[in-house]
Amino acid sequence: MKRILADVRAFGVQFMRSRVGAFFAIAFPIILILLFGAIFSGGGSTKVPIYVQDLSDSPMSYNFTAALNATTVLEVRTIPKGEEILTYIRDHSLNTALRIPADFQTKILANQSVNVTLYGDPTQSSYGIAYAAVNGAATQFNFEIARARPIVLPETQTIAARNLKFIDLFLPGVIGLTVLTSPLFGMTNVCAEYRTRKFFKFLATTRLSKGEWLASKVIWYSFLMLVSTAIMFAVERLVFGGVAVITPIAILLIIAGTFQFTSLGMILGMYVRDTETAAAVANAIGFPMMFLAGSFFPVDTMPPALQVVARVLPLTYVNEGLRATMVFGNDATALLYLGITMVIGVVLFIIPAKALSWKSK
Amino acid sequence: MAEVVIEVRGLTKHYPDAKAVDGIDFEVRAGEIFSLLGPNGAGKTTTVEILEGLRDPTGGEARVFGVDVRTGYAKIRDRVGVLPQDFEPFDRLKPREAVAYWAALFDRTLAKKDVEDVLERVGLTSRADAQSMTLSGGEKRRLGIALSLVGDPDLVFLDEPTTGLDPSARRDLWGLIRGLKAAGKTVVLTTHYLDEAEQLADDVAIMNKGKIVSHGTPEELISRHGGGTTIVLAGAGQDGAAVLAARGIPATVENGNVLVHVATPSEVRKMLATVAAVEIPVTEIYTKRATLEDVFMKVVGARMAEGELAA
Ligand SMILES: Nc1ncnc2c1ncn2[C@@H]1O[C@H](COP(=O)(O)OP(=O)(O)OP(=O)(O)O)[C@@H](O)[C@H]1O
Ligand SMILES: [Mg+2]
Repeated sequence: MKRILADVRAFGVQFMRSRVGAFFAIAFPIILILLFGAIFSGGGSTKVPIYVQDLSDSPMSYNFTAALNATTVLEVRTIPKGEEILTYIRDHSLNTALRIPADFQTKILANQSVNVTLYGDPTQSSYGIAYAAVNGAATQFNFEIARARPIVLPETQTIAARNLKFIDLFLPGVIGLTVLTSPLFGMTNVCAEYRTRKFFKFLATTRLSKGEWLASKVIWYSFLMLVSTAIMFAVERLVFGGVAVITPIAILLIIAGTFQFTSLGMILGMYVRDTETAAAVANAIGFPMMFLAGSFFPVDTMPPALQVVARVLPLTYVNEGLRATMVFGNDATALLYLGITMVIGVVLFIIPAKALSWKSK
Repeated sequence: MAEVVIEVRGLTKHYPDAKAVDGIDFEVRAGEIFSLLGPNGAGKTTTVEILEGLRDPTGGEARVFGVDVRTGYAKIRDRVGVLPQDFEPFDRLKPREAVAYWAALFDRTLAKKDVEDVLERVGLTSRADAQSMTLSGGEKRRLGIALSLVGDPDLVFLDEPTTGLDPSARRDLWGLIRGLKAAGKTVVLTTHYLDEAEQLADDVAIMNKGKIVSHGTPEELISRHGGGTTIVLAGAGQDGAAVLAARGIPATVENGNVLVHVATPSEVRKMLATVAAVEIPVTEIYTKRATLEDVFMKVVGARMAEGELAA
């Protein structure tokens, strides 16, 4: 442990002394979140589509859908009255749909409780957005939403939809993005440099093992990522008035994500020849993952084929998990994704710690 | 005789396109400076890296402190210090930090004063707080030696510690290396500088193309391979050689100079008097002791440029 801490310290000192390192740790997160905030604070075009089948077709139901639209996070689209809603959902691969019953207006006017039904996959973040928005609108109308599917996992919806800002949906993605890029690009580069400059060989003459060296990098980058997260969170709050929260699960997810991308960076760095190639390989892997794993928009708003791709990308689970816990208070989903992230992390850690050699052939 | 620290028997390291080490044997005894001397590509680094547990040999045996380095290196790691070839320190660590850091990697906690001592020993005190990338080549190398010493090893491998340094920096390092020996450490020094081996080493193994072509103390090597002393009659030419030959003195001509070889030191004075008495025109008469360079010319056939071997 003492060796690891000494290594963390030495690595951290060097990292912070290099201007690039300090930039990526402090300035880059601020720039990112300001950028995203500026782009999306106007409401933007990236709304979650919600398909509404309005069987009531009454002034009251129009008011309700108008209220949904007014939340700024949803875009209401219609399902024709005559369609069987489940068939329609399946045929059109919809993620969320809402059914307003025929007796909507009658019951409300009679001051009875009324159920609208929200269809969708509760583990998806767009469902969370839709649920929060519908819930928010419903409180104004003072009725209950029935959930179409039995919800296996307990839900604790704490954030009212009308308070949710678009930046809140992006904060987790930007954090996920940083958790991907900083350790991945950093480690690929560090490993390539350590190999070409023979630092690994030199380290191999000490008592420090590969696993310890890698653990030290995980610790350092986790620390760095938590600092970056705190900065981004503060900016989001102070500048854009966001309401996303940092939860213990979010912190664990950030650490687990850092763990897996630090390890992945080492794997790439051990196989490539020099630092230039390292940068190229890290980019080739990092950039597509950044876009496909839902850093910029929830995965289930992407075309189905890409969603399949997203499901196999480790970053997806970090992003969606963070979104679930930070924005929707859906800790059950977040925990599941935390588990997945940790398993991937352990596998990626063991490979370089065991299989790759510091020795030369 | 002192304890055997390193024992190498029939050691080979073959690569698909090269026999980097091709069956070598040697022993290194405690407290001595052992030098592997050879031109580029001779196999020096390969040999020491096998001994440092950094490469697996193809065949043969390599023992350090009686332990097979292939399987038991972890047991002896703490007794060994390593300066890799072309060592470069971490750019953004200061020497003071680097020393403390490296010590921690050997599970040693150095007090402030211990760090000072190590830096003092390698003459880096005044540069202790400069970022390493601003150090000169010689200072970097000295920092490397400092790092190799933080574990307080009994055996130190220095792979070409002075390559690329200017003569005065080299001389400084020589002093440092002698200091290691004086402190009782065993030193394995690879070099392609003849003077370095001659000045520092107790035992020299000359390597070429993966093999040890000659092995002994510098004096032994010199006397074994046409050692002794040469009397030079500068500018005497062919005619001078002929005159000497007529008197039964074997002589050779090189660049217009006549060379007379004397095998034993006790005969130098007599021979000098003899040739000086012969009436031949010369610009200068002087004697020249054989050096490792002459040995090299013989056993490796290497050319030399400024005391440095070129293969
Ligand atoms: N990993 C490797 N793969 C293939 N060939 C290698 C490898 N390492 C060394 N060699 C070859 O083995 C030979 C010996 O190399 P080595 O580095 O041991 O020489 P050296 O005596 O240290 O030379 P120098 O003075 O240049 O450092 C060289 O021909 C080199 O090309
Ligand atoms: Mg070498």
